Amino acid sequence: MSVAELKARHVAATETVNSLRERLQQKRLLLLDTDVVAVAGYAKAHGKSSVSFGATDLVCCRTLQGHTGKVYSLDWTPEKNRIVSASQDGRLIVWNALTSQKTHAIKLPCAWVMTCAFSPTGQFVACGGLDSVCSIFNLNSPSDKDGNLPESKMLSGHKGYVSSCQYVPDEDTHLITSSGDHTCVLWDITTGLRTSVFGGEFQSGHTADVLSVSINGSNSRMFVSGSCDSTARLWDTRVASRAVRTFHGHEGDVNTVKFFPDGNRFGTGSDDGTCRLFDIRTGHQLQEYYQQHSDDEVRHVTSIAFSISGRLLFAGYSNGDCYVWDTLLAQCIAGKIWPLFLKGNGKCTHMPFWLF
Amino acid sequence: METDSTPMDDSLPSPGEPRREDQHRTPSPSTLLPKTQPNGFYGKHRLAAAISNLQNQINYLQEELDQLEEIGEASIVCKELISSVESIPDPLLPLSKGPTNINWDRWFKGAQNSRKRWI
Repeated sequence: MSVAELKARHVAATETVNSLRERLQQKRLLLLDTDVVAVAGYAKAHGKSSVSFGATDLVCCRTLQGHTGKVYSLDWTPEKNRIVSASQDGRLIVWNALTSQKTHAIKLPCAWVMTCAFSPTGQFVACGGLDSVCSIFNLNSPSDKDGNLPESKMLSGHKGYVSSCQYVPDEDTHLITSSGDHTCVLWDITTGLRTSVFGGEFQSGHTADVLSVSINGSNSRMFVSGSCDSTARLWDTRVASRAVRTFHGHEGDVNTVKFFPDGNRFGTGSDDGTCRLFDIRTGHQLQEYYQQHSDDEVRHVTSIAFSISGRLLFAGYSNGDCYVWDTLLAQCIAGKIWPLFLKGNGKCTHMPFWLF
Repeated sequence: METDSTPMDDSLPSPGEPRREDQHRTPSPSTLLPKTQPNGFYGKHRLAAAISNLQNQINYLQEELDQLEEIGEASIVCKELISSVESIPDPLLPLSKGPTNINWDRWFKGAQNSRKRWI
């Protein structure tokens, strides 16, 4: 077949893909049979009223001070008593969240860290960033002669920055990373090798940097990823060749994804200023959370977290705002609640440490 | 006194925006066509791979369309979502079902010097 013929086939196939996508979108719209898209309309129609907070109902109960640069990431232990945070100051700090005391301050070999995670047993922490490596530290190891905690493992293989990492629940031996090289990887930490690569050049996956991952707490074989290609994708760790489902809708980078507590839904946050709630089994977009503003200020959603029931969605924005959404009624019930939490003052800007 | 100091030399690039360079939107399909080399050989392989990838996407999209015939309407999912949310006790809500979890109280006592009040 000549190049010209191949090019013609490429164009035809592309048109087919676009037309199928449009048909899918139309079909999904038809299935959104509620008045307003979609949970909010249903909830209102069934008499649900919005959560309302008084002025003193949401109060900061801990401030963890110690970083000297922007905090890019934090993670809780499963017992919800310790936190690891990663900062532009080139350090990981491990905190006793109850007492606010620091138990470890780990100076990183590469200061450009973007993500950190606690292992399920709480014995290890992982981090990654612009060095394209995911580093593992054993918190029970002795420090070296300079007082630094040495890396116990380095997971190398990504061809781009490591944007996000999360341990697979119930085991300290596996974690999943997302990367600027357009892939997610499931790692076997014991061997340091990649068990599976999700996406990439010869597989169907994200077509741009992947910025975030979230593993399903109810079924650890499933995880979602969010990407600069404006989509979120659901993956089954047993099937690396293709995503289970791709979720369209956002009109900008999907910076953050988080599974809903019941494990059947997940939330996203994007550069388009919206958060969305998707259903993993049907693929439906269940709700959009967006507040119109009269000014021109850019508000990218940088971080989200759900309360333990999922009724509350906390969203952090690039301008320093933090809003609380009632997920069922799609109403913003508290806004700018932590005005102190601005980037650059060394305080924690990632999602509030007491959401668990 | 806290300062927003960076640990490295100012001449090194900041990690602030590693991803935003050209990815403001998904590239249009025509921009994904591989360049053709003078003899056309390398281009043919890349084109064939791209076509194969597109064919996979077509198959997946068709599968999804077929699945949608079986999938229920959004209202069924909404009902299930509301039921799931309302069944889990939540310490952050003013009103929540279920017994008090004594583990929550350790957070509500607060750190030193603060007068905290919880509903």
